Amino acid sequence: MFKQILFATTASPSCDHAARVAFDMAKRYGAELSVFHVLGIPSRGFSQFVKDVRTGETVTLDDDYLAWVKEEMKNTYARQLEIHTDCTLEALPGVPHTEILRAARKKDADLIIMGSTTREEDKGTYAYKSTTGSTLQAVTKSARCPVLMIGRPVASAWGGFSNIVFGTDFSKAADSAFLFALKVAKKLECTLHLFHAYDISSIHSGKAMDQDDIEDNMMDAREKIRKEYIPKMEGFDDYEIEIWEGIPYVEIVKFARENYADLIVMAHHTRKPDPEKEKIGSTVEQVVLRATCPVASVNRPDKIKDM
Amino acid sequence: MAKKILIIDDDPNIVSYLEDFFGDNGYETCSAMDGSEAMPIVKKEKPDLITLDLEMPEEWGPRFYRKLMKEEEFRKIPVIVITGLTGGKYAIQKAVAHITKPFDRDKLLKIIKDTIG
Repeated sequence: MFKQILFATTASPSCDHAARVAFDMAKRYGAELSVFHVLGIPSRGFSQFVKDVRTGETVTLDDDYLAWVKEEMKNTYARQLEIHTDCTLEALPGVPHTEILRAARKKDADLIIMGSTTREEDKGTYAYKSTTGSTLQAVTKSARCPVLMIGRPVASAWGGFSNIVFGTDFSKAADSAFLFALKVAKKLECTLHLFHAYDISSIHSGKAMDQDDIEDNMMDAREKIRKEYIPKMEGFDDYEIEIWEGIPYVEIVKFARENYADLIVMAHHTRKPDPEKEKIGSTVEQVVLRATCPVASVNRPDKIKDM
Repeated sequence: MAKKILIIDDDPNIVSYLEDFFGDNGYETCSAMDGSEAMPIVKKEKPDLITLDLEMPEEWGPRFYRKLMKEEEFRKIPVIVITGLTGGKYAIQKAVAHITKPFDRDKLLKIIKDTIG
């Protein structure tokens, strides 16, 4: 199922939850694991200096420093490396998201695993509570393979896939997310929940919505799931369709929590006019930050066909 | 008749410690190394309470708990989560209590007595 997993890490405590999932997943599904770390950001183009992720100081980049960073990575993940031997450690300088995407392409990764943010120093701030890190956003937007994001410590208490929630907004990108969710569910014999949250947030901004209209729309959404996704199941019958009304990210998080989901699969669709300039979709971002399980963002079909 | 506690933990030292501790306090015990091993034991032994670790080699705590909740006969068995995992209390929010390792055994005993007598 997963042959090559790229775990992009700062090797700092903020990535510990993602590390737990990455190592366990690689062991559980027999995948090769690349633990990948990008050192700081060069000032302009190539630079002899990088920012040390732990101290925040500017340090000279040379072979000694690179060797020291790799040694630190080995020490950080020493316990996991004892158990999971099919694993490589790599550290190099550059712009983090560019190097992560480049490495994923080069290694032909089936999956990238990341924590939701690395800004430990921002803990307690509005940004920490409500936004994901810029590297995660950039990687998620451009990755050709699914990106598995672990936002909270509790999201690492998973123990393998058995119960998947696919959250759909019926966008084109959601089709790729559906294919991924279905393939994982089929291969790993999971229950698949096809979930849609009908957005009634406009009520709070003054737009009156009749409950009959809301429920009509929910029935339409159920029908749409039946027509769009069920014919693609090809005999797979361990699925349930669920439509809730509310604020989409809240409903997805609640539904996943109540059903003890161990994976949420979504596309990071954005309705903004210029998606390239936008961040990842706000729904998937909030789900990552609040879910009790890992969240896979899938936007492209490229790697899913080969799975 | 003594009440029975099922201990689910992959650490044999914890299992042995809890078996002795519960035994000394008049409870019967049985144990399992992970969730997949535990379900047949639940069916056979019908425990009055379960102590559950979260991170285990094969089937982890949350998955076992979900299976347990699906079984009408067993869904009312009280579960106490005993874990070293950060944020573990959010994984099984409907548990009777969440105890973090290393734990205070008197506190654990009080919770058990309050729960099953």
